Amino acid sequence: MSELTGWGTEVVITVCPHCDWRYLVPVDKAALRCPHCFAADLEPVTEGVEQLPYLHPPELMTPFSVTKTTADQHIEKFADGIPFAPRDLNPEALRSRVQPLYLPMWLVDGDVTATWEAEAGFNYDVVSHQERYSDGGGWATQQVQETRIRWEPRVGQLERHYDNIVAPALEQHAAMEQALGVYALDNTQPYAVGTLERALVRLPDRAPEAAWADAAPAFQAAAGEECRQAAGADHIRQFRWSPAYTGQHWTLLLLPLYATYYLDDDDEPRPVLINGQSGRVFGVRRASMQRAQHTALIIVAIAAVLFLLSLAVGVAGLAVPPLLAVGGIGGVLALCVGLGAIVPIVRVWQFNRKPVETL
Amino acid sequence: MTTPFPPPGFIPAASAIPGIAVYAPAPEETEALPEIIEFKCPQCQAMTAYCVADGGLRCTYCGYYEPPKRSIVGKGAQEFEFTVETMAVASQAHGWGETRQELQCQNCNARATLPPGRLTHTCPFCGSNRVLQQDAPQDVLRPRFLIPFKIEADTCRPIAEKWLGSSWMTPKSLKQSTVAGFTGIYLPYWTFDAVTQADWKAEVGHQETRRRYNSSTKSWESYTVTVWRWESGRVRKFFDDLLVTGTARLSGVLLRQLQNYDTHALVAYEPQYLAGFLAQAYDIPLEKAWEEGREAMRAATRDACRGQASTSQIRNFSMALDFSEESWRYVLAPIYMTVFQYEGQPYQVMINGQTGAIAGQRPVDWHKVWLVVGAIVAPGALLSLLGVLAMVLGLLLPPALGAAAVLLVPGIILLIIGGIIAFTIVGKARRMGDV
Repeated sequence: MSELTGWGTEVVITVCPHCDWRYLVPVDKAALRCPHCFAADLEPVTEGVEQLPYLHPPELMTPFSVTKTTADQHIEKFADGIPFAPRDLNPEALRSRVQPLYLPMWLVDGDVTATWEAEAGFNYDVVSHQERYSDGGGWATQQVQETRIRWEPRVGQLERHYDNIVAPALEQHAAMEQALGVYALDNTQPYAVGTLERALVRLPDRAPEAAWADAAPAFQAAAGEECRQAAGADHIRQFRWSPAYTGQHWTLLLLPLYATYYLDDDDEPRPVLINGQSGRVFGVRRASMQRAQHTALIIVAIAAVLFLLSLAVGVAGLAVPPLLAVGGIGGVLALCVGLGAIVPIVRVWQFNRKPVETL
Repeated sequence: MTTPFPPPGFIPAASAIPGIAVYAPAPEETEALPEIIEFKCPQCQAMTAYCVADGGLRCTYCGYYEPPKRSIVGKGAQEFEFTVETMAVASQAHGWGETRQELQCQNCNARATLPPGRLTHTCPFCGSNRVLQQDAPQDVLRPRFLIPFKIEADTCRPIAEKWLGSSWMTPKSLKQSTVAGFTGIYLPYWTFDAVTQADWKAEVGHQETRRRYNSSTKSWESYTVTVWRWESGRVRKFFDDLLVTGTARLSGVLLRQLQNYDTHALVAYEPQYLAGFLAQAYDIPLEKAWEEGREAMRAATRDACRGQASTSQIRNFSMALDFSEESWRYVLAPIYMTVFQYEGQPYQVMINGQTGAIAGQRPVDWHKVWLVVGAIVAPGALLSLLGVLAMVLGLLLPPALGAAAVLLVPGIILLIIGGIIAFTIVGKARRMGDV
């Protein structure tokens, strides 16, 4: 557990008994709800810690670009415009539960020795012509320049060191990226001690051996780009190489995320996630069928009262014939109101028809 | 078995990043030829020259034969794009080997001054052949390909004599003239490829027959009107090896008549092909030649667009044309030339060295031409004259008016037809001397 000392804050490893996500949490926040499923409180991990892929402090982190205020605005927008929204789906409730969180990504450093071959593309300009003709005006010629690419074969040898090649550290990384968008990695910073005082850190569930399948193509892409620059080319394609990797060093990069939730009709937590860098929101917006049914019942009750009144007026109409017409009108009105009861239910059904996405 | 690195044919290239070695294909090895190549027989030291019949170098004394090093490349001959760099250089250059050169024959020490652009020289004193490998402003502006001679010089005379005797307009005594001394010369040509795509629109006239009631004749009658409708279309046309002459020093009129070269016979340039022939570098630069080429292409595309219209009655025609996939080649094409004298006047004759097509100037026997013209016009003129006389006579003797009409009508018709034929004959006779 000596790895945990470098984080700058006293932390414990916790796990969600419901979704099995593991976190590093400051000791004083160990009893938090799981910011992924919000279905259970986090429990400290006491056994099998040695099997966890990585517990060292990360090398780099992407800071939160979305402030708390901006996140609140995104939350308000998320909660707005839902017909018969669940009582818990309101900005106040969502705001009060916001939990900052960091997702991990692997950073790999390594030395590569390889032979490579590719087609290098060089831009060049050609002169072309566009012409117009009309019976009255004759020919009008315009000279235009077009940029074309000349592809030439290149081969070579490479002996380079690459730093901070990224690879997913979570099995759900692709789904996360689809939901929250791709994080830009150009403004990463060294890990700041004290980061964990404000946010939790999700622990990797993917070992470096498993992540290598994604890291190797990233190494190839980086090498391809360097070979393009080395050849002085404008483009490169068909890059193939036979690499030999040595001196690999794995560390982590943290990506920022806000997590909150609301309770649906069945009191089940529905997570809402906000990309801490771009502000993109992911969550299921559900209308409340319960609230729709309550509204429908009230409308039916009003219709029933109207109907009974109309019936009474109609009976009185047997004695005073003009009241018979009033009773008839009241009956029709009651029927119309009664039919209107279906509107809230249909509205909610239609809104909830959208597929439910979960991570 | 391990693959060798770098692969064969690759050489080290500059690398902008330390730790990365880059290898590029080695440039095609170009044989460093001396500035002036003399063709001497390795067996007897006599002069050798390109032999049209054998397609290689042959010694006229001992019969030594050296086949050409390279084979036919045909339409696969490398084409060049109109890159900005090439156009910039081509606009500054005025041909390859522009400056006059003074040569001293290494065989007999005679000195000769060559005119601009001349690529070959045969010493007038000892007959030794040489090809000059002058510097080009850019490598692509050297002749890279040529169409070799297929017609032997000996064949030119019968071709020319047959051609001279093929027209009745030439003087009878011309058949006895000697048309000899044909000189083989490689002329510069630009070949152009391009795809043109044109979108056109025009008003196209359609004839429609309608009926209307004529109140004065109280009957229905038919009449024709032209109805104009807008039509549009798209034409895509591929031009392959459009030839444009690269020299303005010879008659463009004659060269255009001989331009039926088959570019399937293109071979890579070898100085051996030029041995024993004259050769001229271009003096019409690429840009100017391409202007001429484009003009021909856009005219052909415009004709194709007009051909798409549903009738030939067209007005308000307009089109937008895009050129793409443009490329060019600089080639040498063979021609035989001679000048013969007739009654003290020089006449040029040229023969396509590949196909044998002939074009040239021929003297015209104008007495013969005017006699024929007179014979054609005379019947109509005579009948018309008789008709007029009969008409005058008809003023005194009215029955003669009928005869006047019988004579005058066919007379005028014959006169018109005869006039048209005579006009054509005179025009053709005048063009026989054009250069």
